[in-house]
Parts: sequence; C-alpha cells; structure tokens
Amino acid sequence: MATALGGFKAIAPVPSASDFVDIALSSTQRKLPTVIHKNFKISRIRNFYMRKVKYCANTIDERIGKILTEFPILENLHPFLMHFLNILYDKEHWKIALGQLNKARHLVDQVAKDYLRLLKFADSLYRAKQLKRAALGRMATILKGQKNALEFLEQVRQHLNRLPAIDPNTRTLIICGFPNVGKSSFMNKVTRADVETAPYPFTTKALHVGHTDYKYLRWQIIDTPGILDHDIKDMNVIEMQSITALAHLRAACMYFMDLSEQCGYTVEAQCKLFQSIQPLFRDKPVIVVFNKVDIARYDDLTDENKAFVDEILAQPGIQSVSSSTITEEGVMSVRDAACDALLAHRVEQKMRGSRIDAVANKLHVAVPKQRDTKDRPAFIPAKALEKKKYDKEDPERIRLERDDEVAMSGLGIFTQDMKSTSTRRFWSIPIQLLIYLAFPPLAENYILDDEEWKYDVMPEFMDGKNVADFFSADIAEQLSKLEEEEERLDGEGFYESGDDEELNSEEEEIADAAAQIVRSKAILKQKSQAKHISRAIIPRKAKNVTLKQFTTGMRDIGLDPKHLERRAAVLGEKDKAAYDAYVKRQEAKEAAEGKAPAADGDVEMQDVAEGPSGSARGVSARGPKTNRQFAGMATDAQATKAALLRKFAVREPNRMARASESDRHIPITRPKWMMSGKRKQGTNDRR
Amino acid sequence: MNEYMEEHRKKHGRRMDHEERQRKKTARESHKSSAVSQKLYGIKAKLHHAKRHSEKVQLKKTLKAHDERNVKSKDDGAVQEGALPTYLLDRENQRDAKALSTSIKERRKDKAAKYSVPLPKVRGISEEEMFKVLKTGSRKSKSWKRMVNKATFVGEGFTRKPVKMERFIRPMAMRYKKANVTHPDLKATFQLQIIGVKKNPQSPLFTQLGVLTKGTVIEVNVAELGMVTTGGKVVWAKYAQITNNPENDGCINAVLLV
Repeated sequence: MATALGGFKAIAPVPSASDFVDIALSSTQRKLPTVIHKNFKISRIRNFYMRKVKYCANTIDERIGKILTEFPILENLHPFLMHFLNILYDKEHWKIALGQLNKARHLVDQVAKDYLRLLKFADSLYRAKQLKRAALGRMATILKGQKNALEFLEQVRQHLNRLPAIDPNTRTLIICGFPNVGKSSFMNKVTRADVETAPYPFTTKALHVGHTDYKYLRWQIIDTPGILDHDIKDMNVIEMQSITALAHLRAACMYFMDLSEQCGYTVEAQCKLFQSIQPLFRDKPVIVVFNKVDIARYDDLTDENKAFVDEILAQPGIQSVSSSTITEEGVMSVRDAACDALLAHRVEQKMRGSRIDAVANKLHVAVPKQRDTKDRPAFIPAKALEKKKYDKEDPERIRLERDDEVAMSGLGIFTQDMKSTSTRRFWSIPIQLLIYLAFPPLAENYILDDEEWKYDVMPEFMDGKNVADFFSADIAEQLSKLEEEEERLDGEGFYESGDDEELNSEEEEIADAAAQIVRSKAILKQKSQAKHISRAIIPRKAKNVTLKQFTTGMRDIGLDPKHLERRAAVLGEKDKAAYDAYVKRQEAKEAAEGKAPAADGDVEMQDVAEGPSGSARGVSARGPKTNRQFAGMATDAQATKAALLRKFAVREPNRMARASESDRHIPITRPKWMMSGKRKQGTNDRR
Repeated sequence: MNEYMEEHRKKHGRRMDHEERQRKKTARESHKSSAVSQKLYGIKAKLHHAKRHSEKVQLKKTLKAHDERNVKSKDDGAVQEGALPTYLLDRENQRDAKALSTSIKERRKDKAAKYSVPLPKVRGISEEEMFKVLKTGSRKSKSWKRMVNKATFVGEGFTRKPVKMERFIRPMAMRYKKANVTHPDLKATFQLQIIGVKKNPQSPLFTQLGVLTKGTVIEVNVAELGMVTTGGKVVWAKYAQITNNPENDGCINAVLLV
C-alpha cells in the first residue's frame, strides 16, 4: 500500500528483538572479513575487531533510526488522524515505545564507543576478540530489552497499513447514528465499499471509507460505528472512533434515524442522542435521515414521537430526508441532499475566509467614471440591426443546412448534394441518402470565377498520371514569369551564337606545337604503363627458345648438349627436305598464279633437354672412383656454392647465452646490490 | 478491525480442499525443515541449529511431562525427609539456625577461614604482560616508562605527575569506578562504587597502582544495600573479590566477601 490513512508512507516491517539481534550480528559476520591470525601485526588485529564493533553498532543504529523516522510523529498529523491514532493505539504508549528505541540506540552507540576505546589497548588477538565479544553481547542484550517496544510497533504497523485511506481534507460525508439503524446498508447502496452488514448492533467496528461521484466530483463517505447515548468517558474504542470522525472532520453529517424502532432504540432515545452529540455538529451541514421508510414513515409516528422529531427539525440549518435501503427509495436523494448541502457550506466558508480576497482582488470590472451628461450608447451597425434575428418557427428564415438534414431524414445523418442536384431528382430517397453519405455537400459552396464551373468534372488521373502530383496553385503566375524571362533573354541576344574568327600564322604554330606535346605525352604515358605489366606472363615452357639459347644455357651449368645439337641437325635436315618440297610445291602453285616465295625462318627447338650426367672428379690411386661429395656437380662454381649452402644449413643455432637447450635460467636483470643503497664514496650512480 | 481475511472467510468461506491441504502441509512440514537444515551453511546454519536444538529440548521435555502424567505410579506413602508434625509447624525453624551455627563453628575451626576467599588461587601475571614499555627521549632510546596494560582503579583526587617523573601511566580508557558486585547469599547483583584496592595478589606494586585483575580484593561502597552490623551500625564499605578478567570483558564483576 503506497499510502494508508491520509498520506502515511508505508512503514517497513519492524523485526522482533531476536530477529533484530540476528540481523545485526549476521550482517556483521557477512559483510566484514573473517580471517585473522594471531601472528598478524597487532594493529591489524585491533583494526579487524574494532571494525566489527563499529559496524555492528552502525547497523543497529541505522535500523533503529529507520524505524524512528518511519513512524509518524502524532503531533504533526492532522488533528483527526492524531486523535484517531490516539484512540486506537494510545498516544502515550506510542511515544514510550519510540522513546525507548531511541534510548536503546544511544546506549548501543555508547557501548561501541567504550569498547572501541578498550580495543585500542588490546595487546593480543585473544584479548581483542574477548572485547569484541563482550561488546556485541552487550549490544544484543540492549536489543533484547526492547522486545516489548518492537512487538508493539510491529502490531501497530500491521494495523496502520490496513487502515482505510481517509483524506481529512476532501469533500466528506459522515454517516452516524445509533447502532443497527442502517448506516452500513446505506453505505453499500451509495458506494462500492462493500461494508459488512448484519442484523445485530455493532456489526461495524471501525471506520469504513467509500467513494461516490456526484456532480462530476469525488465524494468520500465515511461509515462510522453506532454510538450509544452515554457520557464520553464511558465510551469504548469503537464509539470513540465515530466521535473523533464527527469532531475533527469538516464534513456533512448524516444522522440516521430509525422511525420504526426496529433497531431496538426508541425514537425518543434517538432524538436524545442527537441532542447530546449536537455540539459535534456545529459549523457543519447536518441532514437527518429517516431510514427504513418502507416500514414506518414520519407520518406514521405517534404525536408524542412526532413532537420529539419536530424539536430536532425545528433547529436552524437541519434538513430531513427519508429513505429506504431495501426499496432504494430516496437513497440517492439523501446523498444528493447531503452533497449539495456540503458544497454550499464549503463555498460559503471559502467566501468567508481571507483567502478568497486573493482571488477576488484579481477580478475587477472597470466602469469608467461619468464624464459628462452626454449619452454614449454602444455602436451597432444599421445593417446588423436590419438583419432579422433567427427564429426557428419563421417560415421565411434563413435556411440552414440543419433544416435540410431534418427535411431529408431527420436522423443524425446529414448530407447534401455534391454536384448537380438535378440528376438525383429522380432517384429514390434511400439511394440519394447513400450518395450523400459518400460525398459531402461541397460543390454548391465553391467560390469560383465562373458559377458554371462548379459542377465541372475534374479528372483525378490524366495520361496515367496523378493530376495532384503536378498541381501547383500558382501555375499561371509561374508560367507567365517564365515567358517574360524568355522574352527578355531573347531580346538581349542571349541565345545568338558568336561568328568564328580567323587564326593568324603565329597562333597556328602555337596550336601545332601544343598538339605535338599532347601526342608525345600520350606516347610516353603508354610506354611507362607498358613497363608495369599487369597482363598474364607467358611461361618459359610455352615460349619459343632457339637451339642456340638452349645449348649455351646447358653449357653454362656444365652439361654437354652435343647429342642435342646432333639430333637437332638431323631433324633440321629432315625438315629442310620436307620444307624444300613444300616450297617447291608452293612455287609451282604460285608460278601458276605468278607470285614470289616467302622468306626463310629459324629452326625452332621445342624438346626438353635431358638431365645432366654426373662427371668423375678428384681421382686417386686407391680412393673411390668418384668423389660423391661432388656427385651431380658439373662445375667448380656449383661445387663451391653447394659447399657454402651446406655450411649455412648446418650452422649452429644462436644459443642466446644459454648453456644448452634445456637451460631455462632467467638471470637477474636488475640486481638489487647494483641498483640500490648508498656507497661509501658517493651514490651508486657515480661508480 | 480491518480483519479483511476473516471478513473474506465470512463472506465466501474456505476453499473446498482447505482441510486436506492443511493436513498435507503439516505432514510435509518435517521434511521441509529437514531439507532446509541440511541445505544451510555458515552463520545461518549455526543460528538455525541453535534454534532447532532448543526447540527439540523443549519438545522432549513436554513429551516427558506428558508421559509422566499418564504413568500411574503407586504412592508409597513415604514421609518426606524433614517433614514436621502439625503441632510443630508454627515453631521456629531450628534446623536452619543449627546449620548456621555449625558453619560458624567450622569456620572458626578452620584457621585460614578468616582469609578464605572465593578465588583462592590466581594465575601469575608477568611484568611484560602487565606493563607496556614506552620509549621516551627525542631519539626514543630511553625505556624507563611503563604503561599499565590492565584495568585500574584510580582514586578520586588523583592528579598525574609531571611527565618526567611519571613512571607508570594508567590509561584513562581502562580506569574503572564501578563494579558489578554479587551478593552470594542474596544471589543478586548490584553496581557499586569502588572505594579502593585492598590487595592485588600478584604483587604489592600492583596493589599500590590499583591494578584490577582477577582475584584482586577491592573495597566497595555498600551503603545502598542497607547492611547492618550486629552492633546495629550501617555498614558503609565491604570487601569484594574480582571474579573476571576486566581487561578482557570491559567490566568488573566481583563477589562480596560476607
């Protein structure tokens, strides 16, 4: 519940004393470090335990402080709330409980202070721990002493949270009267409060609140327990609640009476009660409600009783209304009467108060002072005076569209012709109605240059295009502007092209040179671009290689291409013969046609050479026939290169100053003895 | 007032299976609590187990009481010891007086009785434990000064000596003026003012310094108790012996020497 009983903040649950101790101690245990050893530095041990004591005291202090702030101070509340709470819980009891808690808080703080002082002198872990234990124990004892106060406050809190939300300042109606006269039944009829009703007295034991709407305002209705006619000292808590509500709320009081005497109290007694609680009704609108009129009415009363009732009604400012909650006769009129009376009363009070002046001062109607005797009436144009005042009955009145509506069908449907009315004249009324529904009557109110355009059909689409897309309100104006500009430009000769002028010889030369430069630049650009080959490179295999190129290459790496040359020569011979034969044939052919023979070309070599053969080197008398170290090496150059490569491949890896691969030692990078301390002679950076 | 649950019950009654659910709930209760107590650990477990233990003890006690109520035991008609015949009932209780006199006699017999105290033996306390050495001098090289590391009693009119003269410092935090004194016969405890230290069993020096350790005999003001001597004079002060370690507990508990 966000607010209970007129704007109290919801109060957090109040723990019981033993829970309180558990909360404080366990949070101390949970939130603080727990590991300490006796060989730690003594200051550390002391701090460890001092922190515990401090924290525990703080936790208790905070929790109690929270309770103290959450419970409202009765004196600061609205008088009604104050007295109401006083009746329910006893102000003294309330104060004592809170006061005790406050004292407990101070005591806990004091204990913490004392033990912190002692802990400063602790010289061992044992002593510090004992002191901490004693401190927490004393705090727990203090809390245990608050058992009753905490219990009381928790009960009050629970009760307080369930109290109805009575706002003492709004428009309020209070229902009061003897027990069993039908107060709660009336409440149930008027509001949705759903108060318990039963045919025995004191069914209602507390104030109940319901709300109702009247004149677009919200009204708070308070149902009170019944009151018996005796001295205020003898009244019990239930009755006192009613009395407080009546005494301290500025509200309309509805005094319920049961004229049938079914409630068990005579009319005389009821009248007497009214007289005795009369002082509570001072300055309040009072309505006497004769309930249960389905059984007995005012007229049914005996003369004796009538006299009693009349005595009440004779008093000034007292209305009487009769109602029956069973037949629901007059229930609403009772409520309305009460609300009206209260509203009038509140307005009257506001008018009487000083605050109204603040508003009233702002409302001022200035009336100019009479200057002279000249009469200065308001000016009304003659035409306005001429204009006839609209009269619904007048047959010659200005015809409104509303009249058309009435003429058409009368229902809320209102339509008028869109375009020509003449076409629809022959249609039946329902169809006309439909059409009217679809098209609002606009056309006849069009203001156009020509009256005849009114009913012209305007196309929405033209040539497959939406006309609206091309619509411009000031198209004619824009067009005329453009045309004007065109004319002007034409007149200025903007569109005429200039005649070509002849170039002289000097200029021609310059132009030539420029053209040459441009050309040569383009060539240079092409060449430089050619350098950066971005196209695919033809592999050597696919290239044509001449025999000579091939054989020199082989000789360079120490291979003998003799047999290749021989074979090429043989193939060449063969080809030559074939070629000669071919040429002859061609010549013969061309002789017949009369043409010269084509030029001769190089013989092309496309075979792949065979691998080089190993040569024997370094022969000794008894040694091996071949030096296998140089097997496959054709030249000395190759051999030396191979030796170099081998030497490089088998070189020892860099050991990085390690004894071996398994050496994982990390040397001291900055030896302390070298880096720190003062020396006999000067500082260490001067050695 | 505003008993909305009762009100609802009045209007609509309970749900149909309420009794069944209630029965099951109670039947499940023991399983649930056992699961909880098995699952808990740490401080929560400690608290929970302590609570459970006390509950169980209470339960066992009631069960036992119930058992005893049902058992029919034969009244053996044995006369209680010390029971008096009716004609002697209004006589003065002789036995108590006798016991008193015998105890007095015994005490007299015991020569050391005059000096007997509730705590006849105490743990020895070394000087290192008692005093903390304070280093003095601008170079902190001198160490003649001592700070008393235990609770002390300092007389009312005490003023400290000049710094150079003061050999023993008694810290303010550990000075006490009051002791919680228990009257052994009345079994009641009173907070009484300390008047002085009669004797510290550790050493005469400690007595002189007013050090309060366990076993120290102190003089307390018993004027509040309204004790009267056999001669009819009001007893003003009495001796009491300290029963706790004040430096560990932060308070002084003592037993009155009657």
